[in-house]
Amino acid sequence: MKRAAVIVLLVVVAIPLVLAMADLPPYGSPDSPAYTHVGAYYLEHGVEEAGAENIVTDVILNYRGFDTEGEVTVIFTAMAAVLAVLMASRGGGEAGTRPPLTPPSVVVRFVVRVMAPLTLMFAVYVIMNGHITPGGGFQGGTIVGAVFIALTLVLSERDATRLIPNRPERVLQAAAPIVYCLIGLLGLALFDVYLGYPRTEEMGLLRTAMLVTLEIGIGVGGATVIATIFRTMGSDQ
Amino acid sequence: MIEALWQNIDYVASVLLFCIGLYAMITKSNLIKKFIGLNIMETSVFAFIVALGVVEGGDAPIMGVGASPPFINPLPQSLILTGIVVAVSTTALALSLIIRIHKQCGTIEADELREME
Repeated sequence: MKRAAVIVLLVVVAIPLVLAMADLPPYGSPDSPAYTHVGAYYLEHGVEEAGAENIVTDVILNYRGFDTEGEVTVIFTAMAAVLAVLMASRGGGEAGTRPPLTPPSVVVRFVVRVMAPLTLMFAVYVIMNGHITPGGGFQGGTIVGAVFIALTLVLSERDATRLIPNRPERVLQAAAPIVYCLIGLLGLALFDVYLGYPRTEEMGLLRTAMLVTLEIGIGVGGATVIATIFRTMGSDQ
Repeated sequence: MIEALWQNIDYVASVLLFCIGLYAMITKSNLIKKFIGLNIMETSVFAFIVALGVVEGGDAPIMGVGASPPFINPLPQSLILTGIVVAVSTTALALSLIIRIHKQCGTIEADELREME
C-alpha cells in the first residue's frame, strides 16, 4: 500500500518534468536561449575584460566575484558549524594515541605514501594554472583535501594531526575569506571598486597576480576546511 | 513528443536521477541514506544545468593558442561550481548532525527516533 503510494507520487512528480524536458530546445543546439545572451558575451569579451584565458575562471573570480566570496564564506561557515556541533559533546582528550581507524594493509600504506607527493604536485599545478587550463582553487583544494584524507587513513592519529601545522591552522581555515577580503580591498584602494580589477592590458600582470592569489587562497582554505571536517568527524567516537 | 524526448534524452536522464533521489529520501528511514538521496537529487540538477550549456561539437571555454569556436557555455559551469560547494557544505553539516544524533540517541533510523519522543 505504502509502496504503491510512493510510486504514484514519483510518477506524479516525473510526468510534468518529462513534459517540460520535451519542450526545451534540442540538446546541443547553439540557438538555445541559454547560449545566446550572457554566455555568448562572456565568450566574446571574457579574455580582454577579465584577464584569464579560462572563461569559467573569469566568470567565477571576476564577473561573479561577489558570488564566489559568499561561497567561500559558506564553506567556512559550514566548517565552523561542524566544529560547533561535534566539539561541544567531546569529553576531555585522550587523543593522540589511537591507531588508525582500520589497520591498513602494507599495499595500501605503500601506495598511499608513494602517491601522496605526486598527487600534491598535481594539486599545486591545478591551483596555479586555474586561469589558463581547466582547474582552479576549489578543484585543487579538493585534491589536497583528498590527499590529507588518504594520509589520515594510513597514519596514526598523532602523525595525521601533524600534517597541518597546529599554530597557523586557524588562519589557514579562514584563508579563503581573508584572501578574498584583502584582494577586494586592494581593488577598492586602486580602482575605487570593491573587488575591482584593472580593465586594460597594460596592467595585465597585476590582474593575473590578483587572480592567482585568489586561487591560492581558495585552494589553501578549501583544503584545510575539508581536512578539518574529515578529522573532526573521524576522531569523534 | 517521443522524438523531442529522444532528442533531449540527456535532460530526461536527469529527471530519472531526480526521481531516484526522491525515492531514497521518501522511503529510506536511515538518515544517512536520506541525505545520500538528497545528494543524488542535487547531482541530477547539476547534471541538468551543465547539460543545458552544451553545444554540438563545442570545446571547453578556454581561450588560448589553437582554441576555435564553438565553445561550451561557461556560465552554467561556473554556477554549478558554486552549487557543488554549497552541496558539500550542507552534506558536511548534515553528517555531523547525524553523528551527534547517533551519540545522543544511539540510532539513526528515523522511525525509531520518532518512537523515542
